[in-house]
Amino acid sequence: MTIRFEKMIPLPLLEQDTSGSKVWEADSILFEQGKRYIIEAPSGRGKTSLLSVIYGIRKDIRGEVYMENTPISGFTWKEWAHIRKTKLSYIFQGLELFDNLTGLENILLKNAITGYKTKEEITEMASRLGIEEFLHRKAGILSFGQQQRVAIVRALCQPFHYLLADECFSHIDLENSLKAYTLILEECKAQEAGLILTSLHETELPNVDERLEL
Amino acid sequence: MKFLYHILWKDHSRTHLLWAFLGTLAGFVLLLAGVQFYLDIRKVLSENQDLLDPEYIVINKKVNIGQTLGLSRVGFSAEELEEITAQPFADKVAPFLANQFPVSGYTENERFPDFSTELFFEAIPDEYIDVKSNDWKWDLDEGTIPIIIPQDYLNLYNFGFAPSQGLPQIPKGVISLINFTIRLKGSGQGNYGDYTGRIVGFSNRIHSILVPLEFLEWANETYGYFEKNDPAQVILVSKDPTDPAIIKFLEDKGYDTIREKLKSSRMNIILKFIISFLLVVATIIIGLAFLVFLLSLQLMISRSSEKIKRLNKLGYHFREISRPYIVLLGILMVGVTGLSLLITSLLTRQFSSMAAEWSLEISSSLYGIIYGMALGLIALISITNVVAILVSTKKLCK
Repeated sequence: MTIRFEKMIPLPLLEQDTSGSKVWEADSILFEQGKRYIIEAPSGRGKTSLLSVIYGIRKDIRGEVYMENTPISGFTWKEWAHIRKTKLSYIFQGLELFDNLTGLENILLKNAITGYKTKEEITEMASRLGIEEFLHRKAGILSFGQQQRVAIVRALCQPFHYLLADECFSHIDLENSLKAYTLILEECKAQEAGLILTSLHETELPNVDERLEL
Repeated sequence: MKFLYHILWKDHSRTHLLWAFLGTLAGFVLLLAGVQFYLDIRKVLSENQDLLDPEYIVINKKVNIGQTLGLSRVGFSAEELEEITAQPFADKVAPFLANQFPVSGYTENERFPDFSTELFFEAIPDEYIDVKSNDWKWDLDEGTIPIIIPQDYLNLYNFGFAPSQGLPQIPKGVISLINFTIRLKGSGQGNYGDYTGRIVGFSNRIHSILVPLEFLEWANETYGYFEKNDPAQVILVSKDPTDPAIIKFLEDKGYDTIREKLKSSRMNIILKFIISFLLVVATIIIGLAFLVFLLSLQLMISRSSEKIKRLNKLGYHFREISRPYIVLLGILMVGVTGLSLLITSLLTRQFSSMAAEWSLEISSSLYGIIYGMALGLIALISITNVVAILVSTKKLCK
């Protein structure tokens, strides 16, 4: 599945100076499945907006986004629910965890509608990210870095064509970030999926096909 | 999936739902018990009536000043008779026939004080008369006129007149032995006939001095010279004297009757009034409780709106999101139905054993229609709520 922007820009950004942006000023941007993209930009340049538009939770845009040549503006809520279960996975910047559920329950909440991973696989992923021992604590009392890793594991509990990761390493130390990145790349490879990852800073992350500046 | 319930049920207001639950329960019990008791009492009323004969109702026009002054008619015209006959509650109708000649009666018996009085006679077909007597027949050759007087007349004499005048009381059996002379006068001098009159029975039903119809028809033919009047009284037979239509008809037409006879009709009206009042109250309560239900669930949903949006972002379908609400609604509705039927049947059993002490037979189990009503109402409330839940969760999903 390809994702293509045609002169797409979220409406609020029209009022900002976007000159020099490789994305907002471009006539067309193409994302290809299986490739890894990193979008680097300081705050307020529209990183989260870009991912939200692809994920269908922001619709205030000029231009159009095409998924496999189908304009997404025509998708119904039914199609979006299906896409979010099978084609797009999202690691939200705000994490969107439920504080009163444990880390594991948060992950299982997602896995319940996809049935994609076994409990063992989930535990294994969590232990690779060093959060296995925190899985049975309420998400609300975990540190933000721990919560981020819970959200990463949760996002991997579904089939997807693209993984949208919104500043998902912002509160994780470098060593653990690399572990998480490796896990994400493995999963993307296994699923032959693309990765669109946003970051505030220039990153040292390897194996990137394209870096886009907003 | 249990986490979904865990997340979404957390935001309910226990007090709201409890009040909604109790309100619906109270409304249901009131409604179901009301209908059950109404059906019971109606059954008892009509059954009790079946034990008796169908009710015989004698009606007349209310006497007003117009009639006193001779301006309006006392009797029932042919049209009015027809109208009465046409009423659904009137199974049989017969007008009273009156004498069209002067009648007087007197005693000539040394054992009793002399008695002389002007009289009147009326006659109706035998089937309307509550006294059965072998002597109740007219035979010209024999010349004895059988007479039925109201039981009340005898009582008036025995317990009112006789003691105050120092006269002996007369038992029923004795009075039948006394022969009177009845004089029927035709027009013209010397045109009269003397006959023997004998009281053969006492009526509790008809307040008039009755003679056999056959006799009166003959006598009117023979002696009658008065202008023929419309019948002043009409007797009608109603198989269902509980029918409130009887009282309504009589009141609308300005007719009068002995009210006692229609007390079950009146009771039925009162009963219907009370029950409708009860049902209106029950409906209002159920309506309010239904609103509280609707609002509590909507409040619950709007309290969880952030969570619902989050679930939607995670790929949850709005139908999956609304399931916990629908399940909660289902649990409450099953609870309301079960409890209200249980309470109503307990009340019914209690009521039935109380009624048994008054030797009224009332069903101790619920009528089928009660179950039907409960299920119908629950279905209505549930469907509306489910639709509301689906609509409002869908609104939160993108």
